[in-house]
Amino acid sequence: MINVRTLEPGTRVALADGSTVEIVSNPKDGIWVFARYLTAPHDASLVGTEDMVFAPDIVEMREHA
Amino acid sequence: MAIARNTHYTGGLVDLDTGRVSREIFVSDAVYEEEQERVFTRAWLFVGHESQIPRPGDFFMSCMGEESVILCRGRDGRVHVFLNSCRHRGMKVCRYDEGNATVFTCPYHGWSYATDGTLVGVPFDREAYRGKLDRSELGLVEVAQIAIYKGTVWATWDPAAPPFLEYLGGFKRYLDLGLDAWDGREGGTEVLGGIQKWIIPCNWKFPAENFSGDSYHNISHRSVDLVGIGPSGSGRRDMRERQVGRRLQVVFPDRGHQTTVYVLPGEEPAPPAYQQSPVVSDYFRRCEESRRRRLGAWARVTGAPGEIFPNTALHPRQPRTIAVWHPRGAHRTEVWRWYLVDADAPTEVKDFLRQYYIRYSGPAGLTEQDDMENWNYAHAASRGTIARRYPYSYEQGLGFEVEDYEWDGLRFAGTVMDITEAKSSEHNLRNFYRRWAQFMDARSWDDLATWRRRDGRPS
Repeated sequence: MINVRTLEPGTRVALADGSTVEIVSNPKDGIWVFARYLTAPHDASLVGTEDMVFAPDIVEMREHA
Repeated sequence: MAIARNTHYTGGLVDLDTGRVSREIFVSDAVYEEEQERVFTRAWLFVGHESQIPRPGDFFMSCMGEESVILCRGRDGRVHVFLNSCRHRGMKVCRYDEGNATVFTCPYHGWSYATDGTLVGVPFDREAYRGKLDRSELGLVEVAQIAIYKGTVWATWDPAAPPFLEYLGGFKRYLDLGLDAWDGREGGTEVLGGIQKWIIPCNWKFPAENFSGDSYHNISHRSVDLVGIGPSGSGRRDMRERQVGRRLQVVFPDRGHQTTVYVLPGEEPAPPAYQQSPVVSDYFRRCEESRRRRLGAWARVTGAPGEIFPNTALHPRQPRTIAVWHPRGAHRTEVWRWYLVDADAPTEVKDFLRQYYIRYSGPAGLTEQDDMENWNYAHAASRGTIARRYPYSYEQGLGFEVEDYEWDGLRFAGTVMDITEAKSSEHNLRNFYRRWAQFMDARSWDDLATWRRRDGRPS
């Protein structure tokens, strides 16, 4: 389980739906991060967009940008 | 005695023709429940000071009556006041006294709100809600009106309440005594240090009444006056103006605000003060000289305790403070006290005042402790079945008020009682309860904004 409070901007993480996102900012509430989609196999239109990502959806660390 | 809802207050429990006020309005849980609806959802309430939230995302958790609210500055710089309660299950979305936030996230189920109140984060929005949740309907609840006046932030839940400056009416110039810089420049004050908060076991109207201008209780402070609580290390806070000036109680009956002021004679120089510290003494002497040049005759008026209806106390002189009496049930009050200083005062002046303020006011302040002891024991001794049968007496000076008082070239709007020779009056206190009873009886602001009918304006 990843402690989302420690995720710094620029960190890349994998989501449960197979997407990869890069952290843009972190309010450090332990529940949400703001992130930009790098890949989105289920919906290509999301790539490049920013969204709030819910902590349980973050499943794996990727390499740092 | 159980008090039925919709009791007639004016002329009933609050009988100002005879100067009698029932103890029930202080100790009855039913009256308390009713006043939360009738007073605190309709009046303008003090929320905080802009200097507490200078940057986008800054927030300060405040209160309006019993309601927890968030005073915050949005990313766009706008000031907001939100009910601190998640729209999903009501959990507080902010549990810190102050800070800076990107979002306010509910720790219960994770709903998250931007600093403009918009609902921006809903867990499983696509999956559980199937994308059908209308977020635009579920932002944080925002107050109906907000006003920023010389740095102070005020809010009301009632969209029908008059604008804040109209609510203040003629009391505005007395609020200015506390918010303008000491040299008379408009605004120019800031909050010094943190906000003192503490709980006392009495009804909120005890301190509200006291700060409305109860000069009769000064004997309670005899001991602190004897040890030299004043900023100059001797006597009391208001120093020479007490000996040479006129002492007035000024009230605005249609608004419910009231204060005491001192008026120096035209030829009287500003009294010296703070002689223990040459730097501080010199600062205030120069400020007083500038104030006289800037304000003319009005500079001879110095403020003393006052109350903006319902629960905001103002102390414009020293210690310069704003206090709010937050109701916490019929038998408890949470006091919050803000300390104000000239924003551009030298550090040595601010340090001196900080020491003086906390020595005088707040939970550790010697003078405030005297007051709290009175309120706490008076409340406790008024709760019994027998005690409740006997109303309090507010008869001092009844019938001796004058309209548009004038002295030595200065004219005062409102209703005034000159207590220089009388030494005391309960004129101000009666005004507070008059307005309180009006709020309790009124159906809406149509009944409360009586000046609009008098002025021929639609209400």
